[in-house]
Amino acid sequence: MTTTLITGIAGSLAQLCAARLAARGDEVIGVDYRPVHRLIPAGVRCYRANYNKTRIEDIVRRHRPRRVLHLGRVGNLKVQANKRFDLNVVGSAKIMELCVKHGVERLVVLSTYHIYGAHPHNHIPIYEDDPLRASATYPQLADAVQLDNMAATWVFRHRKLRTVVLRPCNVVGPNIRNAVSTYLRQPALFYLLGFSPMWQLVHEEDMVDAVVRAADGDAVGIYNVAGVGALPYVRALELTGARLVPVPYLLAHTALRLGAGLFQAFPGYLLDFLRYPVVISDAAFRRDFGHQPAMGLEQAVRDTVRRG
Amino acid sequence: MRLSARVRQTIIDPEVARAIDQVAADEQLNALGYDPWGFDAESAKLYFSLAKRIYQYFRPHLVGLEHLPTGRVLVVPNHSGQLPFDALVVSVACLIGGERPRLLRAMAERWFPTLPLVNVAFSRSGVVLGDPINCRNLLEANRGILVFPEGTRGSGKTFAHRYQLADFGRGFVRLALQTDTPIVPVGIVGAEESIISIANLKPLAELLRMPYMPVPALLPLLGPLAFLPLPTRFHIHVGEPLHFAGPFDDEDEVIDQKVAVVQKAVAELIDRGRRARTGWFA
Repeated sequence: MTTTLITGIAGSLAQLCAARLAARGDEVIGVDYRPVHRLIPAGVRCYRANYNKTRIEDIVRRHRPRRVLHLGRVGNLKVQANKRFDLNVVGSAKIMELCVKHGVERLVVLSTYHIYGAHPHNHIPIYEDDPLRASATYPQLADAVQLDNMAATWVFRHRKLRTVVLRPCNVVGPNIRNAVSTYLRQPALFYLLGFSPMWQLVHEEDMVDAVVRAADGDAVGIYNVAGVGALPYVRALELTGARLVPVPYLLAHTALRLGAGLFQAFPGYLLDFLRYPVVISDAAFRRDFGHQPAMGLEQAVRDTVRRG
Repeated sequence: MRLSARVRQTIIDPEVARAIDQVAADEQLNALGYDPWGFDAESAKLYFSLAKRIYQYFRPHLVGLEHLPTGRVLVVPNHSGQLPFDALVVSVACLIGGERPRLLRAMAERWFPTLPLVNVAFSRSGVVLGDPINCRNLLEANRGILVFPEGTRGSGKTFAHRYQLADFGRGFVRLALQTDTPIVPVGIVGAEESIISIANLKPLAELLRMPYMPVPALLPLLGPLAFLPLPTRFHIHVGEPLHFAGPFDDEDEVIDQKVAVVQKAVAELIDRGRRARTGWFA
């Protein structure tokens, strides 16, 4: 029986992955620094531990996982920048070290397409080798870029620990509670007047398939995960059935600046993702892992709004 | 952002709609009808129908459109006239002016994604950011590309420099070599006189983050209306495809020789157009 350790188990994606693995008979151990409020799939053991403290090593020592899915990246801006740095950068480094020390065979690290940055000069599509513009424009994303860089270094420095880094586009779905899914569920949706860049959405079920394939597969490296295609973001908003309210960019920008405390769920840097396209290519991931997303864009939006 | 069906119906031109339906069959569109750059056939019908009205305003005289090959191609005209009406007229001409409709993907100036509304209209009509990777991806997918190697150096030139080609960049020739794409030179005559600019106010342009700021000759007479184009007649001469061979990453000097061949072909087509017309409006 394969033992898999999953970080970020309080999050929906980690729970869905755990359920998928447990259903096929794998032993699954979940870890999170947050309390787990939601229902954990049957047969999954959960621990509460900080990624950068000693307790997590005890868990690894006790269960000797063969695989680690590091899905516990903190994207939530409610968490203060220095705490986020501790979790994303220091914590991830600790987890990677433990993997090497305890003979883990496979590590999957969840990164994000946000690190490419929304820039007016972005070409389409963006490949894994393209520069990461995010840290230059948005200091709030520096920890995400560093986590990704660190994992990428790990891919080549520790060949025995076969590492895969996934950079998915917006993950959405009935169970997902990230910024974009929450945004899509609002009864009235503000959008930027005169902008509608192409957006990619990956349905949670396709994302679970991507993570499980990455865990089961053999290839190592950095891979984009893009879902089935792109659509203008205002079109995605229309598909939610919500009332749409256009807002001029300057007004939205100023409101987010002045009311940063009020709009924590919607970080300011995301505004540029509503203006400029970040369309990624997942050709490499499909080729190396046989991933074939099944959920259409319309369904992805509708399922997200319906909420599980 | 969606127009009601009735308004759409009155705006959409049947000839444009037919042509877009024909070309859309060759575009690789996803289940919702979009390509990754944001082209969408239904929106394109609307925008190209509006563009056709502007096209008719300039009453273009088209010569040699039959030279446009099927499959991948780089269409390379001269650039002039302050506002990109030359790009619009060539795009509409290729769509409805020839025997087979052809959708050209125009490579746009790098500030277009920052312009509200304009960026949406451009993207839905098939215009893409002028970036070598965009261009290479589209050529490899056998698309037609419209590129102005003079860039804003061409479109922003003042009347004193009319019909003098600014330096061509090298990128388009490198891409043609890399993707084995023929280059079709085009000479556009008439756009130079549509908005006559006597000066370029560089400090104001920098302040407004624009590539240039023209001073129309008719400004004292017409005020802001002088920024609208005069109904000059466009004469568009399309040359035969030029094929180049050799490594795409060759030294600049070698590439420059090939660029010079294209530039000379465009200059000859401009001369042909200027000789053929009898006046600015004829």
